[in-house]
Amino acid sequence: MTEPLVTFRNVEKRFGDFVAVRNMVLDIHEGEFLAIMGSSGCGKTTTLRMLAGLEAPTAGEIRMAGRLMNDVKPHERDTPLVWQSLALFPFLTARENVEFGLKMRGVGAAERKRRALDWLDRMQIADFAERNVATLSGGQKQRVALARSLVMEPKMLLLDEPLSALDANLVIRMQGVLTKLQKELGITFVYVTHSQSEAFAMADRVVIMSQGDIAQVGSPKDIYRTPANRFVAEFVGRNNILSGKVLGGDAKGMQIATPQGTFTAQTPQTPLAPGQSVSFAVSADLLTLSETEPDTVNKAQATLISEEFIGSLVTLFLEGADGMEFKVQMQERALMDLDLSPGATLWLGWDAASASILSEG
Amino acid sequence: MHGRGLNIILGVYVALIFTFVFAPIFFSLVFSFNSQRFPTIPLGEFSTEWYAKILSDPDIWQAVRNSVIVSTTTAILATTLGFCTAYTDFRYNFRFKGPYLALILLPPTIPLIIMALAMLAWLSRLGLSGQLWSIIMAHSVLTAPFAMAIIRLRLHQMDPDLEAAAWNLGGTEWQAMRHVIVPFCMPAIISSLCLTAAVSFDEFAVAWFVSGLNKTVPIVILEIVQGNIDPQVNAIGTFVFLTSISLVVAAQVIFISRQIKSHS
Amino acid sequence: MSTKHKIDLYALTWRLPIILWQLIFFVGPVVFMIAISFFVVKNYRMTEAFEFVNWQRMLTRGYFWDSYWYTLFIASLSAAIAMMLAFPAAWALAFRASENLRRGAVFLLIIPFFTSYLVRTFSWYVILAESGVLNAMLGYVGLGPFKMLNTHFGTVVGYLTLTLPLAVILQTVTMANIDKTLVEAARNLGCKPLATIWRVVLPLSKTGFVVTALFCFILAFGDFVAPFYLGGSQEPTLPILILDTTKSGQQWPRAAVVAIMMMLTLFAVAFTAIMLAYRKPKVAR
Repeated sequence: MTEPLVTFRNVEKRFGDFVAVRNMVLDIHEGEFLAIMGSSGCGKTTTLRMLAGLEAPTAGEIRMAGRLMNDVKPHERDTPLVWQSLALFPFLTARENVEFGLKMRGVGAAERKRRALDWLDRMQIADFAERNVATLSGGQKQRVALARSLVMEPKMLLLDEPLSALDANLVIRMQGVLTKLQKELGITFVYVTHSQSEAFAMADRVVIMSQGDIAQVGSPKDIYRTPANRFVAEFVGRNNILSGKVLGGDAKGMQIATPQGTFTAQTPQTPLAPGQSVSFAVSADLLTLSETEPDTVNKAQATLISEEFIGSLVTLFLEGADGMEFKVQMQERALMDLDLSPGATLWLGWDAASASILSEG
Repeated sequence: MHGRGLNIILGVYVALIFTFVFAPIFFSLVFSFNSQRFPTIPLGEFSTEWYAKILSDPDIWQAVRNSVIVSTTTAILATTLGFCTAYTDFRYNFRFKGPYLALILLPPTIPLIIMALAMLAWLSRLGLSGQLWSIIMAHSVLTAPFAMAIIRLRLHQMDPDLEAAAWNLGGTEWQAMRHVIVPFCMPAIISSLCLTAAVSFDEFAVAWFVSGLNKTVPIVILEIVQGNIDPQVNAIGTFVFLTSISLVVAAQVIFISRQIKSHS
Repeated sequence: MSTKHKIDLYALTWRLPIILWQLIFFVGPVVFMIAISFFVVKNYRMTEAFEFVNWQRMLTRGYFWDSYWYTLFIASLSAAIAMMLAFPAAWALAFRASENLRRGAVFLLIIPFFTSYLVRTFSWYVILAESGVLNAMLGYVGLGPFKMLNTHFGTVVGYLTLTLPLAVILQTVTMANIDKTLVEAARNLGCKPLATIWRVVLPLSKTGFVVTALFCFILAFGDFVAPFYLGGSQEPTLPILILDTTKSGQQWPRAAVVAIMMMLTLFAVAFTAIMLAYRKPKVAR
């Protein structure tokens, strides 16, 4: 792999006593769509602002293409940002907004206009070029904001929750626009969001942050299937998290005794000693449900409590031994031949490979 | 009782209050076109005598020139100072910010007669009294807080990301100031110019103390009034009212219309 | 990091001008005025000194104290009158008028604030004169003529010209910001209209009203035009004292003493008022 476009090395950002980003180590590669995800206050926006030079790291190094960037001023960087508020200049027209960066860089008026109109056309809003931005719709403003950043022809585009102000159906449309744009241009997108669906739908890699730390980095599929720790397991999707003590195990699997029974889980990279407390997660859509005892490695009995329908997808809530709540997610069709009256006792089953051990913390 | 009847009573009362407030302005206007030397009811004949008199008075022309110089220069100075301070308050946090803001906001709370004495003593000491510049310096101190308040209000309406967006697109801090902050504040800047000019145009206490022989319009009025009743004052007064009212209305229309626009 | 301590030319450009300007043209004059109260005047020339002669001279004179108490009295009285006259109008504008009507009224009331107080006072002079407009009108209904000029009444009318618009504006804004549901709740619970004003509206607007009264007091206390032209300076107020002492006798140090006494009084009044305005109400029961 070539040298990363951006490297974070032990980067820390403090605001007084508050640590917004702690000891961050992260590489961002050329041409990837990277999403940074987490709840508010997790440090995702601070990370993005450090990339744009709007905040300087308190410690550590940020390098772009090998150059140390810690104290490089925002205007000396090539890191245009699409703001959550969009931050369009209200006293300018759409075209003048797009021209703004070029004007700052000293590009001549004719050239500016040509390039701005070119991008507005590409974003399919050329008709609104001479309109005051205040009169545009949310989606149109979004496109002006994108054009304003992309006209700078950057290697990397930063996006801070750009879709958060849009209607749900418009969000899906814009997601399509963004992924297509990123593939066409081949530039790096760093996309900050609190929305799992946005991050997982668009990104090549997702960084999950929690209280200033990186909780996990990986492809959406990796994170979904093998959450690294309890935080990610709880944050991402519908996971069943079981806790217990290690009995023993080998390369094929670990035996873990829990109040719900003894189960086999995938052996983690770092070996676990018998007697150690441990948790593991099983994704709700990897559990099977049957009336008779299944032949899977892991099985448990539970009582049906309730169901929740979202379209053709059903989530069933069951109560297992010791009051443990199990969530099972499946297609409605697959439920046809089951007795689903509340209080029915059903069997849950899952493979060892579906159960991934969570590291503590 | 609580419905219509009360509303009528209250309506009449509010009208009375407005009558009290606007009666002097109204009568000044009426009497300026009245031929009587001691104006009263019933009115005398319609006459433009007093206007003819002031228009042919070179002293008054000189006072108008002085007033225009003083109020425009004051407006520019005060608005500049107010803008700098409003921007500092908007953008920065620092240790002595409280005292810093008090320094600019305090002067209007001190009675003008006291400011007049203090300015007179101090400017004479510095050898700066008795000139038009003396009035301008004093007036800029008195009016800068108005400028600061108006511009600060406008900055409060600005998306705080706007300035950072300009840097992010390759603008230096100075470029962001020129291309983003100033254009955004422009309606407030114009309003502030109008209002500070209006205040300066009408101020007489401080001006009278520090101006020496350079009279502005209000000082001329003060001196005429000290003599005896002279309806010339009504003519000058009408002209003064028109000037200040148009400045105030211009300021409000510009500022309010922008506010409405930025909210839609 | 060294960059933190580098001088930020940009920040200073915006921060420094007002500091320099106000130090030279605001702090300078006020401090110097305090200083000259200790200077002495000999042969119509002021010389630097540090003596209490001016203080002694002013504070032991009956006419100073007469003027002091009169100014305090007439300024307080007119502030109280302005507050009371303004209240029904402000109440109507705050609770009975539409949003647009209220905005329009406040806008109109701002205008006099920026127009020549001097000309308005002169206009009152003509209106209130022995044979003036008001007496002529009263004459038609068989009243008067009344002597209104050169009386306390004249002075108060002058003060009200200055303070009444301000009192109406500030009271209206204060009451318009009251949560209307509280007032409706009180009415709903059977509180009579006047009792609602007394028990709900006034307590909720206490801070705004105290500050309004304070502004009215400050304006009247420092004004020399109304007592001079409309009150006939029969009893000179402190501003007239400053005016006379400065303009005629070249006695700047003595005028400074009066000015400092005025400022101290204003501070004391403002401090008391603000303490009153922000004091937590005693919990009943």
